Amino acid sequence: MEYFLHILVIAGIYIILTLSLNLIVGFTGLPSLGHIAFACVGAYTSSLLALNYGISPWIGLVIGACIASIAGLIVGFAAIRLKGDYLAFATFGLGVIIYAVSKNWVALTRGPMGLPGIPGFALPGFEIRPVWAYLILVIVFVLITTFIINRIVHSPFGRILKSIREDELASLSIGKDVIKYKLIVFIVGAFFAGIAGSLYAHYITFIDPSSFTPMESIMVLLMVVFGGMGSIKGSFLGAAALVIFPEMLRFLGMPSSFAAPLRQMIYGLLLIILMIKRPQGIIGKYKF
Amino acid sequence: MFNQLLLNGIIAGSIYALIALGFTVIYKTVRFFHFAHGVVYTAGAYCAYSLTISLGINSVISFFIASAFSALFGIAIDRLVYLPLRKSNAPALVFLIASFGIFIFIQNLLQLIYGAQILSLRTGAVKEGHAVLGAVITDIQILILVVSCWLLGILWFIIEKTKMGKAIRAVADDPVGASVSGIYAERVILYAFGIGSALAGVAGVLISYETNIEPTMGLNAILKGIIASIIGGMGNIPGAVIGGFFLGIVENLGIWKIQAGWKDTISFVILIVFLLLRPEGVLGKKNRERF
Repeated sequence: MEYFLHILVIAGIYIILTLSLNLIVGFTGLPSLGHIAFACVGAYTSSLLALNYGISPWIGLVIGACIASIAGLIVGFAAIRLKGDYLAFATFGLGVIIYAVSKNWVALTRGPMGLPGIPGFALPGFEIRPVWAYLILVIVFVLITTFIINRIVHSPFGRILKSIREDELASLSIGKDVIKYKLIVFIVGAFFAGIAGSLYAHYITFIDPSSFTPMESIMVLLMVVFGGMGSIKGSFLGAAALVIFPEMLRFLGMPSSFAAPLRQMIYGLLLIILMIKRPQGIIGKYKF
Repeated sequence: MFNQLLLNGIIAGSIYALIALGFTVIYKTVRFFHFAHGVVYTAGAYCAYSLTISLGINSVISFFIASAFSALFGIAIDRLVYLPLRKSNAPALVFLIASFGIFIFIQNLLQLIYGAQILSLRTGAVKEGHAVLGAVITDIQILILVVSCWLLGILWFIIEKTKMGKAIRAVADDPVGASVSGIYAERVILYAFGIGSALAGVAGVLISYETNIEPTMGLNAILKGIIASIIGGMGNIPGAVIGGFFLGIVENLGIWKIQAGWKDTISFVILIVFLLLRPEGVLGKKNRERF
């Protein structure tokens, strides 16, 4: 039971990541292949604040998300200059840089040794330690994220995002400041990814760079594409299905040296098949 | 110290140049980022490992078999994954994401077969290198330099002087115009994948004499290959070579002052600088449509 709840917590964290990436990729049509880097920034910021300065994780979460937004802004600047596969590769590159920083800036992040003993969230008189309590916390954050992203994409603002996705030149020609919208989208997306990273760090209580490898970003992208590009329901479906399904492999009794690559192979194959058969995802509407 | 780092940079650069060149030949004809090129490189290295170490075949023969295998492997990727995408007129981004899928699939398949541990093609003790101008160069490094320079020459000859190369250039310039004048684009793409993937395989085999073989080696290789291609000017063959050597040298001179762990960061910072200031690369032509 405990284990099942644990899987749901992880699924919830991935739902936040997937929703925030869907805002960038699915709704605005900007290819971003470095999303996990924002989660990395959020996770390290709030963990380091808690470990070195004893700052409450609640405040750390907000500060972490804000620093992640700054990283998002920097990536956003790349999105102004570049398009299509160039933008995709540049965002992937920024993911590689953040990963390299977390691994090599040993004085700050302790590098591959990771940060152990990260404190958890606490309410007055109650520490959110049990898995069920943490699940409730994650569900609250998933609901907040869903609410905000849903409001964004169904507002006039969201319509402009979709118009940028459909025809950037046309939205420019009716006087929309495309650059501003692109930057805002990256800032908001990175903000929620930062929250997801921080939720992960305070839940697992240990982080190291191996959780934030550049290939992990491709995994989040797979969740967006699998569920559906530009679909909020799709993000729930994609993240939940791709987190829960591989856990079944564990019950087949495979050794982990076999199950881990096999699981990655299934992901890779899924990505290929989706691109050939259904690039918009299961319930998505928009294709690249 | 400077000379040694410069030499290391040239050797790393010749490997990058080989990868970038293969990537560029493919890019010229299909116009998308063939990210799975990196995993062709890995497959070439593992193929040579199986032949030389497991089957005990002569290393020169297995070098050639591994290169041929890589060529076929690249063609197979094209036929199985990219051809259906071409038929449905998918945009470049869909190709890139599918390419990531291939990359993940093959890398983990290799890990499943060979395990995650580090292997090497080197047998026997490490030989002492020769001293040249205050730097030390080993026999393998000389071999890497000679083979890659020779291949760069051959490739230049194929692209510039043969009919096949002319067809590749024609498709690169204008696919519709090429097909109007009777060039069958699918066959040209086949050639490009064959040549490009063979180059990746050669690079993979060469590097596994110099360093190690592991399933994840392809990621670094393709990242450097693509960065080198962008620096040189995407789709530009001399540019890819210049970019490869430039990247290798800067990266290795960089660790003179900075820790070795930051090598990848140096190359990505170079990439970002180029993308922001000169996205068409050193030798590329301005092309507003892409940026």
